[in-house]
Amino acid sequence: MASDRALGMTRAADEASLIERIAAGDMTALRAVFARHQLRVFRFILRLVQNAAVAEELTNEVFLEVWRCAGRYEGGASATTWILSIAHHRAVSSLRKRREERWDEAAAAALPDTNDNPEVAMQKADKGAILRRCLDALSPAHKSIIDLVYYHELSIREVREVLKIPENTVKTRMFYARRRLCELLKEAGIDRGWP
Amino acid sequence: MSEHKGKILEQEEIESLLPWYVTGSLDAADTARVVSYLAQHPHLSAQLDNMRAEREQIVIANEALLPSVGALNRLMASLPAVRPSLMQRVSGSAPYRLVADFFMAPTARAVRLAALAMAALVTLQAVVLTIVLRDGYTIYHAASGPLSGEGVSALVVFADDARAAAIAGLLAEFDANIVDGPKPGGVYKIRLRTVDRSQQAKDALLRRLAERSDMVRIVLPSRD
Repeated sequence: MASDRALGMTRAADEASLIERIAAGDMTALRAVFARHQLRVFRFILRLVQNAAVAEELTNEVFLEVWRCAGRYEGGASATTWILSIAHHRAVSSLRKRREERWDEAAAAALPDTNDNPEVAMQKADKGAILRRCLDALSPAHKSIIDLVYYHELSIREVREVLKIPENTVKTRMFYARRRLCELLKEAGIDRGWP
Repeated sequence: MSEHKGKILEQEEIESLLPWYVTGSLDAADTARVVSYLAQHPHLSAQLDNMRAEREQIVIANEALLPSVGALNRLMASLPAVRPSLMQRVSGSAPYRLVADFFMAPTARAVRLAALAMAALVTLQAVVLTIVLRDGYTIYHAASGPLSGEGVSALVVFADDARAAAIAGLLAEFDANIVDGPKPGGVYKIRLRTVDRSQQAKDALLRRLAERSDMVRIVLPSRD
C-alpha cells in the first residue's frame, strides 16, 4: 500500500513536470502526455457523445487546450483529473450544441443494431451483453459518473474535480445512476432486486 | 425512532461508498468503515457482486473503443507553429534562434538544405524498403507477439478459480499470448494465432475458447 502511494506520488510529480514543460512550449512533452492519456480521453468522450468522428475531434481539442492552458495547471489535481475535466467540459458542450440529438434513454435502449452478425446476436442473449446495452442507454450524466468510477477508477474527490460538483452530489449521482441502471435492467427482464 | 433513522442513514452512507470500495479507491478511513459494516451486514455482498458485474461490462465496453491511427499527427499539425511563450525563449537563445529563423524565414540556401535533407530521407526509406522486401517481414517481428494480420484479438475474463499454470496451459493450447492487462475488473486482451485468416476461422476459434467455461468467464472479440 505504501509502495503504491509512493508510486502514485512519483507519477504525479512526473506528470506535473510534463505539464510544466508543455507550458514552456515543449512539443515532446505534449507528445508524451498525448501518448499517456489519449486513449482514456477518447474513450471517455466517445461513451458520452456516441459518435467516433466527433469524439476524435473533441479529443484533439482537449489536447490543444492542454497545450494552450498548461500554464494554468496548478498541480492541485492530478494531470489525469485535470485532463478528464477538460474532456468532460468539451463533451458536455458538444452535447448541448447538438440539442436536436438529445439523448433519449428509451430510444437508445430500443435501438436495433443493424450491424449485428449472428455471433453478436448470440452474445446479446447473455446477461453481460444486456447489462452493457443498459449501461449504454444511461443518460450522459449517469454514464459519465459510472465510467469515471468503474473504468477510470477515480476517487470521490477526483470525480468531484472532474465534474465540478460537491462530494455528496458525486455519491448521490452515482447512487441514482445505479438505480436507473437497475430499472433499465428490470425492463430488459433482469431483476436484481435492488433498490 | 431516532436510532432507527440513524441506522438507515448509516446504511445509505455506506451503500453510497460501495462503488469506490469495489474499485479500491476509498481512503483508509472509509475503507475501514465499509469493511466493518459489511462484516455485520453480509447481505450487502449481493450488491458488491452486482457492482463487480457492472464494472466488468464497463471495462469491456471501453476497451472495445479505439481511435483511428494518425491522431497524434493531426494534433501536432493543428498546433500553432510557435507559441508566444516559446517565441520569447527563442529570441534570447542563439541556437534556438538559428533553428527558428531557418523555418520561419526560408532563404534560398535554407530551401536547398531542406531539399537535400528530404532527398536523404527518401534514399534512406528506399534502402529500408529494399531490405524488408528482400529479407521478408520476419526480421521485424516483435518478440512479444505476432503482427496484427496473423490472428485474432479477444477480451477475456478468466474464471475466478483459474490458476496461473492452467491459464498458461490454455494460452499454449490456443497458441495465444496476453498482450494487455489485467484491466480493471480482471479483463485481459489476448491475441490468438491462426493460419486461416478468414473471419469464419477467427469466429470459430473464439467460440472454441468461450466453450472452455472452466477457464474463461467472458470471451469477446476485440479490435486490434
